[in-house]
Amino acid sequence: MQDWLNILVRSFALFFGVLVIVRIMGKRHPSRMAPFFHVVYTFIAITAALIATNIITNVVFGFIALGSWAVLMLLIDYAALKSKMAHDLVNGRETVLIKQGKIMEENLSQVRLTGEELLRELRAKNVFNLADVEFALMETTGEINVLLKSDKTPVTPHHLERRVAPQSEPQTVIYDGNILDEPLAALGLNARWVRTQLEKTGVALENVFIGQANSDGELYLDLFDDAVQLPQSKVKELLYAALEKSQADLTSFALETQNGQAKAMYQRNAERLKTVTENLRPYLLR
Amino acid sequence: MTVGSKVKQTLAELKGAHGTLQMYSAGTRDGEAKAAFDKAMAEVGEIIGDLEDRLRILESQEPQYKGK
Repeated sequence: MQDWLNILVRSFALFFGVLVIVRIMGKRHPSRMAPFFHVVYTFIAITAALIATNIITNVVFGFIALGSWAVLMLLIDYAALKSKMAHDLVNGRETVLIKQGKIMEENLSQVRLTGEELLRELRAKNVFNLADVEFALMETTGEINVLLKSDKTPVTPHHLERRVAPQSEPQTVIYDGNILDEPLAALGLNARWVRTQLEKTGVALENVFIGQANSDGELYLDLFDDAVQLPQSKVKELLYAALEKSQADLTSFALETQNGQAKAMYQRNAERLKTVTENLRPYLLR
Repeated sequence: MTVGSKVKQTLAELKGAHGTLQMYSAGTRDGEAKAAFDKAMAEVGEIIGDLEDRLRILESQEPQYKGK
């Protein structure tokens, strides 16, 4: 066999061979791998390159090396899935760098990290003030994760003691002027619903680039023609306003009437409407 | 404006709200939200009932203002 043909065949075979091996080895992100896995990937890459370029002349020997590393890697991966001990052996363990706001210097030197580097990593996590850190940990991948002191964590609705409506993921139901049936079915809607909604807003289907529907049955549209201003749906805000106005009306009726029985009825219903409005608030005003 | 027509206005507003609530209750896929809308709908429905009763009394008291 001629040399160039030899290299061509090897290259083709290895290209797809390595593709298969890497796909089998999983979806781990290269930057989030334990160092050992980097070594395995590098070995496979270099060996494949050496076989393909005919530096390792004996194809069988080359493939034995390549295959055994790939198989060993899969075996170790499987063991790590099944046993915590094997997992720790392969991936190593996390190292606590900051505990109760205090830097653990011994652990720092154990993972070969200087104070400057630690500060840099913290800054990368948007933590500029060491005083804000309660706990920090170096993951087995070398990434540093930070737990802030409880008074420095971002505010959530829970902190504000505010109820919020549950939210499920929106579905893309129109793409590039086409109605997508599968995501519509997931929401329990159909193409006719989309057409009605489009008619309501007065937009042609061809003009829609992306349309997303949420679990409340509201449709958000992005048009090709950006000059067109779409009317924003204000139904929920209007409903909330109507309920509040009715409540105010009932209160004023209660004040105006001379009839004791009617007064009590108006007052009672104004109170009820107030509770209703408060309960609906998270759903109507997001 | 008479008391009767004011009550009628509020009644109309509440009925509109009731309808919108019904729409959202039927449109939402989320069980919790649906329950909240249904509960609000029932409450508003009862308030509407009370107001209608009151309106009937008002109209019998002031028949000259009875609406169509």
